[in-house]
Amino acid sequence: MKMRWLIVFFPVVSVIVISLLVREHAVNAAPPQGAAAPVAMSPKESASGKSPEEAAIPDTTLAINSSTPMSQRVVHYEIDAHYDAAKHIVDGSEVLTYHNLTGQPLDHFPFHLYQNAFHPKATWVREAKLYGSRDTTYDKWEDKEYGSEEIKSIEVVGQGDLTSNLQFIQPDDGNKDDKTVVDLPLLKPIAPGAYVQFKIAFHEQLPETQARSGWKRDFVLGGQWFPKVGVWWHGAWNCHQYHATTEFFADFGVYDVKLTVPEFEVVGASGVKIGEVNNSDQTKTLTYHGDDIHDFAWTASPRYKVKDDGVFQGQMGPVRMIILMQPAHWSQVGRHEKILRESLDHFERWYGPYPYKTITLVDPEPGSAAGGMEYPTFITGDSNWFMPGGLHLPELVVEHEFGHQYWYGMVATNEFEDAWMDEGINSYTEVKVLDSILGEKTSVLNLAGATLGDREVQRLGYTSAADLDSIAEKAYDYYNYNSYGGITYGKTASVLLTLEGVIGQETMARAMRAYFMRYRFTHPAKEDFLRTIEEVSGKDLRWYFNQAIYGTQVYDYEVIKLDSFPVNWYEDEKKAGKKKDDKSTVYQSTVWLHRKGDFVMPVEVQMIFDNGEKVREHWDGQSRWTKFTYEKKAKVESAELDPDHTVHIDRNDFNDSQTAEPNGKPARKVSNYWLFLTQWMAQFVAWWAV
Amino acid sequence: MIENRGLLSSGWAMVTHNKRYIFWFWLLNMTLAEFGTAAFRNQAHAVLDQSLYSDKLVHGFNLSVLIEMFARPEFGPTKAPTMATVYFITLFFMATALFLPGVFQGYASNYRLPRDEFFRTCGRNLWRFIRLLIVAGIVMGIVCGILFGIQGALTKKAGDSTNELLSFEVQMITLTIIFLVMTVVRVWFDLAEVDVVLSDQNAVRRSIAAGFRNAFAGLGRLLADYVLITIVAAFILIGGLWAWMRLVPASGVWGAFCVGQLTLLLLLIPRFWQRGVAVAYYQQRMLVPVVRPEPIMPEPVVAAVVVEPSPSPMIPNIPPAPQES
Repeated sequence: MKMRWLIVFFPVVSVIVISLLVREHAVNAAPPQGAAAPVAMSPKESASGKSPEEAAIPDTTLAINSSTPMSQRVVHYEIDAHYDAAKHIVDGSEVLTYHNLTGQPLDHFPFHLYQNAFHPKATWVREAKLYGSRDTTYDKWEDKEYGSEEIKSIEVVGQGDLTSNLQFIQPDDGNKDDKTVVDLPLLKPIAPGAYVQFKIAFHEQLPETQARSGWKRDFVLGGQWFPKVGVWWHGAWNCHQYHATTEFFADFGVYDVKLTVPEFEVVGASGVKIGEVNNSDQTKTLTYHGDDIHDFAWTASPRYKVKDDGVFQGQMGPVRMIILMQPAHWSQVGRHEKILRESLDHFERWYGPYPYKTITLVDPEPGSAAGGMEYPTFITGDSNWFMPGGLHLPELVVEHEFGHQYWYGMVATNEFEDAWMDEGINSYTEVKVLDSILGEKTSVLNLAGATLGDREVQRLGYTSAADLDSIAEKAYDYYNYNSYGGITYGKTASVLLTLEGVIGQETMARAMRAYFMRYRFTHPAKEDFLRTIEEVSGKDLRWYFNQAIYGTQVYDYEVIKLDSFPVNWYEDEKKAGKKKDDKSTVYQSTVWLHRKGDFVMPVEVQMIFDNGEKVREHWDGQSRWTKFTYEKKAKVESAELDPDHTVHIDRNDFNDSQTAEPNGKPARKVSNYWLFLTQWMAQFVAWWAV
Repeated sequence: MIENRGLLSSGWAMVTHNKRYIFWFWLLNMTLAEFGTAAFRNQAHAVLDQSLYSDKLVHGFNLSVLIEMFARPEFGPTKAPTMATVYFITLFFMATALFLPGVFQGYASNYRLPRDEFFRTCGRNLWRFIRLLIVAGIVMGIVCGILFGIQGALTKKAGDSTNELLSFEVQMITLTIIFLVMTVVRVWFDLAEVDVVLSDQNAVRRSIAAGFRNAFAGLGRLLADYVLITIVAAFILIGGLWAWMRLVPASGVWGAFCVGQLTLLLLLIPRFWQRGVAVAYYQQRMLVPVVRPEPIMPEPVVAAVVVEPSPSPMIPNIPPAPQES
């Protein structure tokens, strides 16, 4: 009896005390301008009359192999959406429960309306026209390229319908025609620790696929498709406009999504499917649930062929691999499953466990701009009906997008401001994983005698735009799209590969694992990553990071000249009949090195003499040039900077070495290809025209 | 079938009896291409010769090294070697047009054509060939434009289909049709060229008309022969590339050169074979039939009349029948 009273008494007292504390804090905090005193939403005050338990963010673990939540859950999206496949329209209602963990009252909430980017006057399209974009040139505007996202009504539970309060804002560029961010001032601020619930009705017109979202023929990819609240980050709302070079940033939480689509559609989505009901109007409603994710995407096509019997035994539990393939690509389903499984295996062993119960891999509609995209537990590959085994494009894309599950999905950095921490770090791990699976020299191409490795691809991307922007640049502030791509992906990967040479491969691997395990589900910033590397390596690496991450310095070292001549050259000339290359002749050999770029870094150099002797030297690279001189009974044959090939940021690899005697074989080989091509073309023209 | 074999074998016999033409055309092709690639070669040597990094091109074929070579400022703009190549391709085209009349004359002769006669034929037909090529270019341009326009429209339409392979299939089918139509046009103008040379026809339009008539008169057999020979050419190309990739080690520059040149030499044969077929067809079907005149026996009571046969450029004059007295 006594125990029963205690069980009742303590929770009641606890709730009252917490409630009083919350009220106290809210009153003490300075209310924002023009805002009324903050209130904690009592569930009983909600229009729906929900109980306090219902207003909280659920602590479900249905979609993860964990008995407890893995992230600090800030949002709970309950979406009920209907897709009109004929008109490519989504009509939906969304109940967003937001937990104010910011430590201060919030008097306004910004929302992303990403689909409004696809309008000719929107910032996304203007930037794409001006700076280029991944897959759309906008040479001319077509109606099917319009996308739109409209909040038809928004009610804040306890504050009523605030639709008329919505106002579009343009925090990045002031483009008044950009409607990708809308701000909602509240009547009363939301107190710290309190929950607020938004009831939103939205209408959306999906465009023909742009930026990995939209429709193509009878296919649709629903990405960035619902009103989505910004992130309170570093003491302020972080809700950027949608730019041609930016991706996304969102809070972790729980997603419960009901999708109603035509009955004939085959559907894939983030999270786990927990229900499917056929409706009387030849539609069906599928219900999905996601835990500890920060976005939700879905796809539908009547023609997908599905393979969903693959299971990967992960460290935290089984992971079901769901693969949706185009019918014409069905023969490649084994390739897709194999690389997905191997990627999972490598990431778990090298960086940390994959906690989710599913991973859905979508082979999107050919010719759509939907290939190669990541959403939580949901990725798109990119293939073609004709894909030779030696061309590893599907493997490259699937591995890359899966890697995002770690850096974008779980670590979840701010892609608007620190794009390199997702795309770049992911490109680095892509190189490591693909090297391990497909070979360092052949991870991209191994066909008809031609080879190409992923680390080389990354470096080529970097050298195509080496000196305009730093890695640390905000994604929307890059000079152009090429610079964004080359630096964010290519330079970051090359910089981290080079860092392996500085701190050691094994240390770098430990640092990457430590970074992932420490910062998963936390939205870290760039210094969190850099400090982790310094901490694990035990080295002060500021000299490197200041140049490679924060600076635009370019690394370009060259062997400027090498020369050998007999020390007693004047005597040799007098000795008639002495053989020119006498083994007893002592030569003075000199090798000159030059730091052409402004990136300063110590480097090794190896000299090879014509008697086979190898000599290694170390140059700190501080001066602009240096020289090494030897007196030996041998002439210097070649000199090579970075003989172990640990530097991957060199703008020009040709001038890293020099030989005393020219070797015309490489040029003859490529010229022979050119000659053959020329002759064949000449014959072809003469065949048809004369 | 027998007729087809006849044309093919006649054409083949002409090619084998005049092998030297193929050799000289290959030499011309290679020499001009050598000039055409000189700019590329020099630029490649400038970048690759003194770097150890270039070795990745020799031992295997590392594509990134090649891409990087093109990107180097010291290699220069790729436009320069490309334009040089285009110029020398044009030169080979013109040289082919110049020397082809001699080849036709050689094929039609039942003796080894002397060099002076070869070049005389070339010179005599130069302007006629230029006119022929202009007309052929216009016809081919129009036909190509129409066909590729239709192909583009069909492919675009097929691209809207949910059947991913449809677009490719449409492309393949339309390309096959375009190939067949263009082969017919090629047959037409091959016959016209043969007619110009062997009939010593100054009025090119008559040869074009004759070529047109005869091409369509024997379209089935000519088209079949031409297509068959083109398939042989495709096999030669595929076989040559296969041998290059499989039999020559990556570092075997001279081996690759030899295999490449042998392939290109063999690739010239099919086209000359087609021309041999055209000449054979001309000789069998296009020559104006000349009937040897029967001697007219004089009536016993009427004075004898001497009948002169009509002159023909290809048939020697026949002496008049002996008069009976």
